[in-house]
Amino acid sequence: MTLDASAPSADLGAPIPRTSGLRMIGWNWLGVTPFFLFAFLFLIGPVLYLVAGAFQNAEGAFTFDNIIALGSPNIVASFSLSIRLSLLSALMGAVAGLLLGHAVILGGLPVWVRNAFTTFSGVASNFAGVPLAFAFIATLGRLGLVTVLLRDLFGFNLYATGFNLFSFVGLSIVYLYFQLPLMFLIIAPALDGLKTEWREAAEILGASRRQYWQMVGLPVLTPTILGCFLLLFANAFGTLATVYALMGSGFDVVPIVLFQQIRGNVLYNPNLGYALALGMVAIMGVSNTLYLILRNRAERWQK
Amino acid sequence: MKKRFPFAAVLMALFGASFFIVPLIATFYFSLKMTRGELGFAAYASVFNSADFLNTILYSTIASLIAILIGAIIIVPTAYWVRLKVPKLRPVVEFISLLPLIVPPVVLVFGYIRLFGSNSWLPLTASTFGTDVLLVVGYVVLSMPYMFRAVDNGMAAIDISTLTEAAESLGASRLRTITTVIFPNVRAAIISGAFLTFSISVGEFVLASLLNRPAFGPYLVQLGQDRAYEPAALAIMSFGFIWGCMVLMQMFATRKPGQRWLLRLTTRPAQRARP
Amino acid sequence: MSFLSISNAIKTFGTNTVVKGFDLSVEKGEFVSFLGPSGCGKTTVLRMIAGFDRPTSGNITIDGRDVTDLAPNKRRIGMVFQAYALFPNMNVFGNIAFGLKIAGLGKAETEARVKEMLALIGLSHLEERYPYELSGGQQQRVALARALAPKPQVLLLDEPLSALDAKIRVSLREEIRAIQRQLGITTVFVTHDQEEAMSISDRIVVMNGGRADQIGTPSAIYNRPSTRFVAGFVGTLNVLKARVDRRNAQTVTIGGKTVQLAQPVESADAQGNLSLALRPEALSLLPSDLRDVTFDGIVKSVSFMGSVIRIRMDVGDEAISFDMFNSPNLVAPLIGQKASAHFASSDIFELSA
Repeated sequence: MTLDASAPSADLGAPIPRTSGLRMIGWNWLGVTPFFLFAFLFLIGPVLYLVAGAFQNAEGAFTFDNIIALGSPNIVASFSLSIRLSLLSALMGAVAGLLLGHAVILGGLPVWVRNAFTTFSGVASNFAGVPLAFAFIATLGRLGLVTVLLRDLFGFNLYATGFNLFSFVGLSIVYLYFQLPLMFLIIAPALDGLKTEWREAAEILGASRRQYWQMVGLPVLTPTILGCFLLLFANAFGTLATVYALMGSGFDVVPIVLFQQIRGNVLYNPNLGYALALGMVAIMGVSNTLYLILRNRAERWQK
Repeated sequence: MKKRFPFAAVLMALFGASFFIVPLIATFYFSLKMTRGELGFAAYASVFNSADFLNTILYSTIASLIAILIGAIIIVPTAYWVRLKVPKLRPVVEFISLLPLIVPPVVLVFGYIRLFGSNSWLPLTASTFGTDVLLVVGYVVLSMPYMFRAVDNGMAAIDISTLTEAAESLGASRLRTITTVIFPNVRAAIISGAFLTFSISVGEFVLASLLNRPAFGPYLVQLGQDRAYEPAALAIMSFGFIWGCMVLMQMFATRKPGQRWLLRLTTRPAQRARP
Repeated sequence: MSFLSISNAIKTFGTNTVVKGFDLSVEKGEFVSFLGPSGCGKTTVLRMIAGFDRPTSGNITIDGRDVTDLAPNKRRIGMVFQAYALFPNMNVFGNIAFGLKIAGLGKAETEARVKEMLALIGLSHLEERYPYELSGGQQQRVALARALAPKPQVLLLDEPLSALDAKIRVSLREEIRAIQRQLGITTVFVTHDQEEAMSISDRIVVMNGGRADQIGTPSAIYNRPSTRFVAGFVGTLNVLKARVDRRNAQTVTIGGKTVQLAQPVESADAQGNLSLALRPEALSLLPSDLRDVTFDGIVKSVSFMGSVIRIRMDVGDEAISFDMFNSPNLVAPLIGQKASAHFASSDIFELSA
């Protein structure tokens, strides 16, 4: 390309020098070093240390003893309890979240209803832990407002039916308070993503509402629903503070068992603790990975 | 299609709303019943008058603020660098930033206690200061997914690389670019992430309890075991606090760089039409 | 005997009347386009035919049957959407077979029919693919096949080509027309692209502000536009301010020059001012016996557009534009050059309304 000789030329000066190859690489890596250093030291390191320790005995030799000890009745019971509770909580959250999402987003309600639920969900999904436990004790505890109202207004004695807030079922109801909003927040964009054209296309091809949901709507939503279920599962599995505040240290879900191990309140076996930690990380890791895979699948379809 | 009144939807929405609101009402009502026979704010007064409350909340607040600061200092340059210079590392950095979501706090603190315990290579737990450091570091790690995502989104929204190129073509040094161009534009995103971090860290229980630090979380649990009405009051206050944090977080997340905080009361001379 | 007829359809959304009285009769096998700018109501009328929007008043009849109150899934209409709307969870086969499955067709018949459709659109080799693996043009062809598979009585297309690249748009519209001819299906095609409408339609309905301004063949619409809007919307148009001679309604003054028209003018206002229209192709730099009027002016711009060169000229205080066919030996006029544009007085026409 030649410049027109008659056009005025400006002296642009020397071009900006490009740093030579090796120096450039060094400079670039320096920028992210603090992050990696921090992550290795305070995140990856400790976890790897625990994982390694799970396969060592007290003397440091390699062993499967701890993994095998995970098979002891108490530990198995703990994992079983945790998994059952998490499954139930995830199921409750997924179904309730889907129904609420469908009602609020696709149900023909005014927009302010959706916005109100979205804002509230953002808060409620973080309102886990100790204060949540307190709130439910004040609601469904033996002297809780709802319990008392049911008795005084409707003559219905809640606790006589065998219900107890401080139980498996009661705990899963408490969990619902932060699981439901989480499901709602995640399913909302997916419900938005159900293009109206799909429904119209299905309709013009002869489908009824039920047929549309059965053949198009639900199948398209399924990866998101499943993924969210797994997220809720992992979320419930890792919860500790809520359980502790509600049930004390007696309810033997895996996090509590580990908690007690660390506290030294039971026979202190650090290697067993490592194995427990490994089990927890494994379960959480698997469910979160599956969640990510399903989420990618769903995003690919929404294009 | 004929429009029918959405009975089912209304019912479901009402059901959902009451599930959310009833516990709050019940808690608030319960918190007012401390004085026998009447409704009053005695429980709240008792909380605020308690030295333990003030001390623990001060401790937790300071720890959270330091965690926010450290988090920002580590994450902001990293997010910037990854976007600009080493985009290939992006998946790795993102993956690491999401790792805390699969590591439960109890596992994390267990790792800290073993790796940095009294007999280890870096015995942080041997001293009070060292343990405080671990607690703050733990909060930084727990908040990393949210902080990174907030900052990353903020940078995505303002097209960092083009801004940097523009600044450099005009002669700015790298440092100057960061301080005068990049940072002001992601400030809002950082603050947004900060509020989320704040709401997570202040009431955090597991780390504080196992590291034996006088934070707000363990105080809450202890109070729950000792008292009846104050916990309800604290639950309401907690909820209000989280609500406030979320509102502020949202406000900063959607704020555009340069937007006014409050409405201007007068017009600047430059804004009046030039003759 | 019309196959599809819409009588006095009106559609109001809240306080906004989007369709203000629309009448149309479409013959069986006819290809009719609704043409107009955004917001003119063309998509709304289409959706009323499909049944997604109910007319506030008016009737829609298909094959003698009043379908105004009939649900969309019972009307036996095929529809192609602008955004393709292929079901993402099904592959090409599944999408095309959808309508057949709903209708309860057996497995063997469904398969035969789907294969027939795939051959029709030329995508037999893509049967197993999912929508996200297809290009825009391929997706739209599958959407067409899906709409046609259940043998609908009417085919509706809602701006099906707007989301596609220019070259694909041209080839695909030819393909759509060819398939439509082969199947003989009554078709309504909505578009805002006048070239598209004119090249493939039997008749065009030009819509403006909720009404049909003109209904006619492409040639009629182009050569004898009945309103100023139609004249301006379809093709380029030179609009010239003119003044009629008080004594002779066939004589007008344009840009200082006196011109004898073929017919007396009718639309002059009280002062004798009116607007006259002239298509660019009526003008030429070359004189001829037929071109009895000459405008002298100065060339303002010369744009090379490929097969034509578009010239803009100032004539007095009027600006006119016209095209010249490009040829290798042609020397285009330079900007600022004096030039003369010649045209036949019979080519000028009045714009009413």
